Amino acid sequence: MIDIQPDIEFIRQTRKESGIDLSQCMQCGACTSVCDLAEPSLPFPRKEMIWAAWGLRDKLLTDPGIWLCHQCGDCTATCPRGVKPGDVLSAIRKQYYRYYARPRILAKIIQDPHFLPLIILLPILITGLIIYLTGTLSVLEGDVNYSNFFPHIPLNISFISFFMFGLIGIILSIRVFWKRLHEARISAERKQSILKSFFGVLIELLLHKKLRQCKAQKHRYYSHLLVFWGFILLLIVTFFAILSTLFFEYPLPFLNPIKIAGNAGGFALVTGCTIMIVKRVSQRNNYKSSYIDWIFLISMFLLGITGFMVELARFQNWTFAYLLYFIHLILVWMVILYLPYTKFAHFIYRIVALTFTNSYKS
Amino acid sequence: MISISMETGQRNIGIYVCTGCGIGDTIDIEKLKNQVTARNISVNFKEHPFFCSKEGCELIHRDIATQQVDHIIIAACSPRVNQDVFNFPDEILEWVNFREQLSWCMKAKDEDTQLLAEDMIRMSIAKVNSISSPQPYIKDNLSSGILVVGGGISGLTSALEAAKAGYTVYLVEKENKLGGWASKWKYLFPEELPFDKPKLTEIIDEKIRKLEKYKNIHIFLESTLESVSGEPGQFTISIRNKQSNKQIVTGAIILAAGWKPYDASKLEEYSFGQSGKIMTQIEFEEILNEEKNNVEIDLKKINNIVFIQCAGSRDEKHLPYCSNTCCPTTLKQAWQLRHMNKDANVYIIYKDLRTPGKTEFFYQELQKDEQIFFTKGDLRQIDTSDKNLSIIVDNTLLGESIKINTDLIVLATGMTPSDSSELNLTYRQGKGLPDLKYGFPDSHFICFPYETRRTGIYSAGCIRAPQTIQMCIEDSTGAALKAIQCIESTKRGESVHPRSGDKSYPVLYLPRCTDCKRCTEECPFGAYDENEKGTPLPNPARCRRCGICMGSCPERIISFEDYSIHSVSSMIKALNIPDVFEEKPRILVFLCENDAYPAFDMAGLKRLGYSPFIRIIPVRCIGSVNQVWLSDALSHGYDGILQIGCKPGEDYQCHFITGSELTKTRGENIQETLRTMMLEPERIRTEFLEITEYERIPDIINDYLQTIEKIGPNPFKGM
Repeated sequence: MIDIQPDIEFIRQTRKESGIDLSQCMQCGACTSVCDLAEPSLPFPRKEMIWAAWGLRDKLLTDPGIWLCHQCGDCTATCPRGVKPGDVLSAIRKQYYRYYARPRILAKIIQDPHFLPLIILLPILITGLIIYLTGTLSVLEGDVNYSNFFPHIPLNISFISFFMFGLIGIILSIRVFWKRLHEARISAERKQSILKSFFGVLIELLLHKKLRQCKAQKHRYYSHLLVFWGFILLLIVTFFAILSTLFFEYPLPFLNPIKIAGNAGGFALVTGCTIMIVKRVSQRNNYKSSYIDWIFLISMFLLGITGFMVELARFQNWTFAYLLYFIHLILVWMVILYLPYTKFAHFIYRIVALTFTNSYKS
Repeated sequence: MISISMETGQRNIGIYVCTGCGIGDTIDIEKLKNQVTARNISVNFKEHPFFCSKEGCELIHRDIATQQVDHIIIAACSPRVNQDVFNFPDEILEWVNFREQLSWCMKAKDEDTQLLAEDMIRMSIAKVNSISSPQPYIKDNLSSGILVVGGGISGLTSALEAAKAGYTVYLVEKENKLGGWASKWKYLFPEELPFDKPKLTEIIDEKIRKLEKYKNIHIFLESTLESVSGEPGQFTISIRNKQSNKQIVTGAIILAAGWKPYDASKLEEYSFGQSGKIMTQIEFEEILNEEKNNVEIDLKKINNIVFIQCAGSRDEKHLPYCSNTCCPTTLKQAWQLRHMNKDANVYIIYKDLRTPGKTEFFYQELQKDEQIFFTKGDLRQIDTSDKNLSIIVDNTLLGESIKINTDLIVLATGMTPSDSSELNLTYRQGKGLPDLKYGFPDSHFICFPYETRRTGIYSAGCIRAPQTIQMCIEDSTGAALKAIQCIESTKRGESVHPRSGDKSYPVLYLPRCTDCKRCTEECPFGAYDENEKGTPLPNPARCRRCGICMGSCPERIISFEDYSIHSVSSMIKALNIPDVFEEKPRILVFLCENDAYPAFDMAGLKRLGYSPFIRIIPVRCIGSVNQVWLSDALSHGYDGILQIGCKPGEDYQCHFITGSELTKTRGENIQETLRTMMLEPERIRTEFLEITEYERIPDIINDYLQTIEKIGPNPFKGM
């Protein structure tokens, strides 16, 4: 039995994010009939639709099914009332970034377009201050050498410690989410060990098996795969780059395997992001994109673009190279350091939800 | 003018046999002519390949003019077609259905088909020889006034519409002001554009304002009806007021007495009465409109409110029907509440949310409000033990049971009709209007929605059926037109419905009456009153000319001028029954003109063949079949009798409501007759046929013929 206590704010947010009038859903179940995730006892996402209309926040925020959905869009294409269940689920996922983020206030600020100047200004000020203290803020003469502008040691130390701050946020979110999932769980029976499920989920994610099955939006599989692997490559490259600053001469030569991997990763990232942006714009009438989507996607795209430009500027010895470098650093902050509070966090909730579902019987 | 030769009693009969539509190919016309004219010397027999043509019609008109033919027998298509072509208002006209009942369903050039054609002509000659042209029943000083009972939206509309058409209206209202239920409310749910918000109840005030402009509307407030007597055209009505009694005479009556809310105290399963926070829709409406100060409930402060739809409606224990208005009313009330309280959550629990007409748009509008929650569901329990109420609902759209804590529960109770006996009719059959099982005045809701079982009294609005305001307006406009039709038809001495334009009416030969009261009891329309002795006092203007009284009369003293015991008996006896050795059984079929006859026409149209051994006599209603016809037929030698009527029962299709039902109950008496004649009970069979069931006709007839074959020929044959 459900004790009905509707969260009106939750309903309003879901309506706002999805642009959907939830009450138009007539519970026909056409969405469920085309959804691979639906089971006889689990009319997904039909049930989630009425939960959303009734503002049953606790039900939805402890429903791992929400994260099993990769928004393939089959349900949205099938819905006879134009209620777009895919968009509604996506809007509910966005609520996770708010409710499980710790501290919550950061999520609220980062996800509110009104605070956009503030969240850009904050990294500018802090990074600027560190550079001012450790390097120089003036435009340097001669060949471009970024370490003259911002020495590697303070750069690595400061950005790694900021990242640690974000990591704590992620860990806190995972903890709360995992606890809530346990509280809402009906059966205590284990299917397999958590570790085993976790690795299973990792492999699935690396191969994008689920996303590949989508029919309505085939391009999402390719673009997401590009962005995903591009980002991973860049992450590995960054790790080696930090090591190289300690042990090798930096910057590395252009044909160094790490450099090649970095360029390839950047290319994949930018290509994937471009496809995503183009598709989102051309399909804006069918699939709703909100501020949360755009802020993340555009910063990711710009991160890749500025990365290339910074590299190019170094070879060309452009005078504004240091400004580009500064912008690139701000974007690194925006993407990586804001991670637990932006759409970037989706992979965390997805891994947790999938691990949970694979570990316990429903 | 109809003339009958004084010397011979012979009439000038013209028989016009059309040979078109395959009739000429089916039978031997020459042989038929010889047969007919040999026996009836004075008969004028003519054939034409196309009688409904201009030329064919002129031929008949010429005969009327030159040869004084005044009894016309058209042997052509069904009487249901070409009525405008074969229109001879001053002559007696009889139709022989040679097309649908002969050429389209019988074997061509067959001996039995030829015999059937001859018999059909014989029967028609017997009929025209035994009837006369009816003289209409017209009384002096007929009133054109219309009494409207009830001053609600329906009564107001009827009064206005009738007054607009120039008729004098007497509007009687129980309360001290006009307007009825709707005038007590602030808002009405929208039934026309715009649908996004309810309408103010201006429509009522507007109607009252318009009403006051008409000088031919007389309004009686705080008045009731003391008695209503008489018949259409001359209803004598006594109106009782606080101060005085007044007598008026009107031609017709519109009953728009409205509805009462269902008695909520019977709703134990909804915990009604256990808490002041559980109330009916009507009670909630009063609080919403701040008519009643309720200290306990401040609508501006409540957080949760639950509406339960179908509280005692569509429920066999209470009201089995849907009242049409409760769902949209709940929507309206939810709208009102949400507009005065932005924080309140509204829950609407329904069986099916029904939005008649265009109120669906209003529903869709309300769905946009994220704080109105709709779900289907069955109420499990209401817990009143706490300070706040809680309610548990099963089988919801959410896939499991839900529990809602609430400040208020509103029960959407249904409508019940007002008591029609407030009319205080002085009729022998009771003060009110007969009703169907739910207490609404009996009417055929598809075919004849306004007709009650009292001619000249039309029900409109919610006393007839639960309706919305718009539906009431349409309904009462229609009722006003029906009242006007009744007044005008009565002035011409014609039947109003369903035999519109029929001038005949039952004539009683009272000296032979035994006061058995069968006619006064069995008349479905209460046309007969009684004196103290029990002798029937007919009111012909109330009569619908079905002949059920004729069928009921054991003394056979009731007849119509063109449809009588004698005329049908003559038809029965008109044909020669072949003797036993010819092995040609004869089945007499009494066929109801209303549904069964058209079904036979359809069977013809579909070329469904059946046995040529049947002889059909159309009757006005199967209930008008008198027992004497049955014994006449059996003693004349018919092997069996089939009575085919319209569908009786709960959703009856009998045009005279009880005719088919009566035939069923009369069956017992008939079996008694058969026993006294030492005949098998199978000799008489009754069948009921819906108009669409024409495909059953061959089976019905063949099956009966087999039964008759089994029991053998009628022993009276040839006696």
